[in-house]
Amino acid sequence: MTLSGICSAGLRMPLADSFNWLLMLAAMMPPLIVAPLRHARERSFAHRRARAMFLFVIGYGAVWMTAGIGLQVMALAAQLASSDTLTCLALSASAAALWQVSPAKQWCLNRCHRRPQLAAFGAAADRAAFDFGLSHGAACVGACWALMLLPLFARQAHVLTMLAVMLFAFAERLENAAPLAWRWRGPGKALRIIAAQARMHLAPRERALRTND
Amino acid sequence: MANTRQNVWALGSDWADPILWYARGVKAMKARALNDRISWRFYAAIHGIFPPLWQQYGYLRPTDTIPSTADRNAYWNQCQHGSWYFLPWHRGYLIAFEAVIRDAVVALGGPGDWALPYWNYFKQEGLPPAFASANWPDGTGDNPLFVQQRYGPNNDGNVFVPLSEVNMNALGEPDFEGVASGGSPGFGGVATGFAHGGRIHGAIETQPHDWVHGLVGGGLSPQEPGLMSDPDTAGLDPIFWLHHANIDRLWEVWRQNPATHVDPSKANWINGPASTGGHAFILPMPGGQSLTYTPGEMSNLSALGYTYDDLSAPPSPLVARLERLGVDVTEATAVARRTAMAKTVELLGANTESIRLSGTEARTSIALDPAARSRLSTNLNEAATRSAAPDRVFLNLENVRGISDATAFNVYINVPEGENPANHPDHLAGSVALFGVRKASAADDKHAGDGLTYVLDISSIIDRLHLSGAIDAGQLHVLLVPRNPVATEAQISIGRISVFRQSN
Repeated sequence: MTLSGICSAGLRMPLADSFNWLLMLAAMMPPLIVAPLRHARERSFAHRRARAMFLFVIGYGAVWMTAGIGLQVMALAAQLASSDTLTCLALSASAAALWQVSPAKQWCLNRCHRRPQLAAFGAAADRAAFDFGLSHGAACVGACWALMLLPLFARQAHVLTMLAVMLFAFAERLENAAPLAWRWRGPGKALRIIAAQARMHLAPRERALRTND
Repeated sequence: MANTRQNVWALGSDWADPILWYARGVKAMKARALNDRISWRFYAAIHGIFPPLWQQYGYLRPTDTIPSTADRNAYWNQCQHGSWYFLPWHRGYLIAFEAVIRDAVVALGGPGDWALPYWNYFKQEGLPPAFASANWPDGTGDNPLFVQQRYGPNNDGNVFVPLSEVNMNALGEPDFEGVASGGSPGFGGVATGFAHGGRIHGAIETQPHDWVHGLVGGGLSPQEPGLMSDPDTAGLDPIFWLHHANIDRLWEVWRQNPATHVDPSKANWINGPASTGGHAFILPMPGGQSLTYTPGEMSNLSALGYTYDDLSAPPSPLVARLERLGVDVTEATAVARRTAMAKTVELLGANTESIRLSGTEARTSIALDPAARSRLSTNLNEAATRSAAPDRVFLNLENVRGISDATAFNVYINVPEGENPANHPDHLAGSVALFGVRKASAADDKHAGDGLTYVLDISSIIDRLHLSGAIDAGQLHVLLVPRNPVATEAQISIGRISVFRQSN
């Protein structure tokens, strides 16, 4: 890439790419914030519920928009290092896989399950809802940043990759919090739900108390 | 023929046959190795195990052969708390345990119809004597029913459950399933997946279940809880099983009084957590077998071949409440019988800062939202002329964290300044024992570190404040009085104390 190309890409990012990033967030994040939004709603006065949820979303979105700059810079740097999209995709997939098995990822996922106490009155309530959005957003970025690189590189199958990442991120949140460890983690619970439901429909239990060897 | 579980106080003598055979069965289980699935310690670990505490108390020794990873993953750390699975999981646990003990009893020449007695602490105050003595009835030592780490309500080794501190108010809950949004947690708990320690305890779980655990176990320090005080050691104490038989009995009492009380009909409850990708309920049985079960299979006690010698119910607290609000006695009874859980829940008030509980008391004030308070007042004013139940009001102790499960405290509202709260039982909002708080406060474990949330029905207190006009002051004064002074090292904190209104 020429110097003018680099500059052009760098200038383009805050404008068009930021808008694209916002669209991507708007498409991918709603399933991930249903539970914390419900928490913000239920723990607020009836006349403050909409406001609390709005402030949560603003805080959450602000973190992701900030993170978006960093992720796009990373994407740009990778593209500068190698113009081959497949190489970039392989690099980001490797980073995502490494992050996926790390204790750090679990640390972030555990914090995605947090439901903190929220102040109820006045400015303190506004701050609490916004802070909850910030902290939840930070945990969410920590858990998903590597996965979010994938759709940035998958130019040919951008929408499909985005959908796959969204489903994966949603499914892995179904698992409970867990101790920190190096191990594979993913949408296991979602697969177990599907398997259990299939088993129940194909081979329902016959007796009230069944003993097994 | 059904197995009948009897009140331990009605067996005729301290060491009546059912207790004597229980002791012999416990001794046989205790003689088995840790990695034997039907050993005493394996069974206790099914409820929960915290290796450092087990090592500290000598229940986990360097010479022990640890069970295989497959066995530990399948069986250990299963107990369901803070969940609508609390009652059915423990019913299965009791049935399987009883089968293991009965098998040992029969092998020793005992009766084939042996059944686990239950401890009815609503009838008599003390610990059943067979559990309080280090000796067998002939005076020889090594009574397997006795444990050293059972410190009692005053942490002095004198174990009893004060009659004035336990109640069956949970039986008045109209619905089994509660809500997690600040309203009633229901009789049996809120909907969860597999929950080895959920956030919100159901009404029967908070009182009497947790409270009895806390009072019986006690603790010498945050690092030295009584066995019964902590879910990770509770199953090691032989009195645990009689306590849970009583809780199991109360489930059946609730189901029968009145007949409108029914268990959840949702598929997730009936089919259990395994149907939604969670851990299956599985327990070892005699003869190398195992029992897998679902909550739906635990629902009908008589179909399981069990009953209790006493399934009578106390008077409905809702009837008393309706009368207090001016509803005619006949109408009050009718309303109480057709009342289902109201589902609309809204925040009514909250305190402004999290509080630390240490020493002998903690205080905070709750400001009420004027609009929500007005809606409540209107509803209570109309109670006498409506044919529906009035709004209910719940105090929430949110995000209770700490490292000492042995912490137990009473919660009072608006105790007159300078007065001893013990002299004002009508201001008692409820009693809370922090059974499970250590695990629930760990950020990087199966919980997210949010701690526990307790929901106490304060409708009666609010009724009185309403009738006297004191509710119009817009503030509630909350006083927390620990059963024993709380050490600072226990790190007990309460994130927020709030009040919710639940209406039709």
